[in-house]
Amino acid sequence: MDMITDDLKTPFSQLLLSIADDKLIQGHRASDWTGVAPILEEDIAFSAIAQEEIAHAAELYRLVADLTGGNADALAFGRAAEEYRCASIVELVDEFDWATAIARHFFCDHLDGLRFGRLANSCFTPVAGLAARIQAEESVHIEHVDTWVQHLGHGGDDARGRMQQALDALAPHASMMFEATQGGELVESAGLFPKADADMFDQWLTGLKKITGQAGLTLNVTRPAPDAVGGRRGQRSGDFAELLDEMSEVYRQEPEAAW
Amino acid sequence: MSAGVTTAVELKMDWEIQEDPQRTADFQARIDAKGLIEVDDWMPHNYRVGMLRMCEHHANSEIVGALPEGEWITRAPSLLRKLALIAKVQDEVGHGQMLYHVCQDLGKPRDQMLRDLCTGKTKYHNVFNYPAPTWADVAMIQWLVDGAAILNQKSLAEGSYGPYVRTMKRINMEEAFHFKSGEDMVLTLMSGTPRQKKMAQEAFDRWWAPCLMFFGPPDSDSTKTGPFMTWRIKTKTNDTLRQTYVDRFAPAAKALGLIIHVAHKDKDGMVAIKPDGNPDMVVDEQIQFDEESGHWGFTQPDWDEFFRVIKGNGPCNKQRVALRRFSHEQGHWVRQAVMGSAGLPPSAN
Repeated sequence: MDMITDDLKTPFSQLLLSIADDKLIQGHRASDWTGVAPILEEDIAFSAIAQEEIAHAAELYRLVADLTGGNADALAFGRAAEEYRCASIVELVDEFDWATAIARHFFCDHLDGLRFGRLANSCFTPVAGLAARIQAEESVHIEHVDTWVQHLGHGGDDARGRMQQALDALAPHASMMFEATQGGELVESAGLFPKADADMFDQWLTGLKKITGQAGLTLNVTRPAPDAVGGRRGQRSGDFAELLDEMSEVYRQEPEAAW
Repeated sequence: MSAGVTTAVELKMDWEIQEDPQRTADFQARIDAKGLIEVDDWMPHNYRVGMLRMCEHHANSEIVGALPEGEWITRAPSLLRKLALIAKVQDEVGHGQMLYHVCQDLGKPRDQMLRDLCTGKTKYHNVFNYPAPTWADVAMIQWLVDGAAILNQKSLAEGSYGPYVRTMKRINMEEAFHFKSGEDMVLTLMSGTPRQKKMAQEAFDRWWAPCLMFFGPPDSDSTKTGPFMTWRIKTKTNDTLRQTYVDRFAPAAKALGLIIHVAHKDKDGMVAIKPDGNPDMVVDEQIQFDEESGHWGFTQPDWDEFFRVIKGNGPCNKQRVALRRFSHEQGHWVRQAVMGSAGLPPSAN
């Protein structure tokens, strides 16, 4: 179907915004490495990934704008901090620590692979078609980040220590990506975001542990409490205010102007 | 830190060297017939060194050139501009990577080149020592600086060293996109609000003179031109390229509503402010089309400033090298983990 009933528009746009915001901010953080990444070839690869994340976000914002009004740029740059729906893992500064950057992508890309798999089966055809294309690109991101986790895990004591530390530091934030969005159950039962056969958290953790196991790393991630409140409900981490100020610095000078 | 450092035999110019006369004559004949020299071909020592130096300088410029614009990726004002800017800066890094490969084949390891860049031993293009304080500066860099780079690189694509010539052709195709994107950004600002137009004019005032300097000192002051022209490492002189640039960009700037000024700069690369609070600049009255010569006139940039900046005393020299060094040092453990590479010696800056 390509129409959606009014009662589902808000909960579905909340879900799409949570994914779009994750991608915009993940891409924004990744793009900060453009020109200064540890290896030239990786600089180019990481920039390509940043572009894809932001381009995915842009497509999702367009869908949200179609459902609820507004436009993609206003959604990306013009909201108040508490109106964003990303999880805290994408907001954190990485202080130009490559292990932190890789750990973030590791957690996020694996989840993207799964949630776009579900969206590709959505009964809402505009989303399903887009999700199938995005999922194909995500599989490349997953291959890329898995390779890095293994390189660093096997890259000597120093590199393995840094990678382990980054995984441990981000793990609590990673699990909060699973915080339910407002009206999430409604969206699932309506077939807009259909459940997969297996539980998504379990699938995600199994996929991650397969790689960390091969890389000689450990992973301690627990499912968030059902009543946990975080980024999906607009609660922002300490690093977000500065990020939003910077990201919208030029846009806010003349929000109505073309740039 | 020094364990495992690859120390290349330093390649230096040597004008005392006695090359084989027959080989030298054959080499020159091939160049004069517009033939290409390939990596495994015999070449005079000074040709190799000259080509390596130019190519390394070019590669360094791409890598450092990524920094002033890279700073604006996180502040780009729309999704489209953000994506385009990441892609653009990514291209520059890619150009650096391709050019370092050409240099590696000429005899200098990449790690050594990146170390020399961080320690200040080798240089990069002077134009990247100027500040980019507003979004409009990003637009001007893509339009004016990339426009200058295209002109220069088109002439270099007519050179004699095959690997470099082919790399130039590839790079120029991508630069054409950057230029179009810059032109679109400038046009958007100049068609926008009074604040956007003012922002564009102020950025133009900062970038016009550095772009005139882009092509290097006047031919009368340029020591490299002679042998480099004979070997077709360079194919056009600095002054010829500069004039072609003005002929292209002076009327384009006027058409967009920009005013070309002769401006005095402060030590930070910003247009100086007079005691009365106004910018220290006047309209460049030389900007006139001369029917007889078919060229546009212009006031020469401040060449004292050029030589000051090239010696390391420009507005952003220290900042650019420091960021490059920061990046190199931050990435050290990563390279060591995956490639086992070495650390950096102390900086000259």
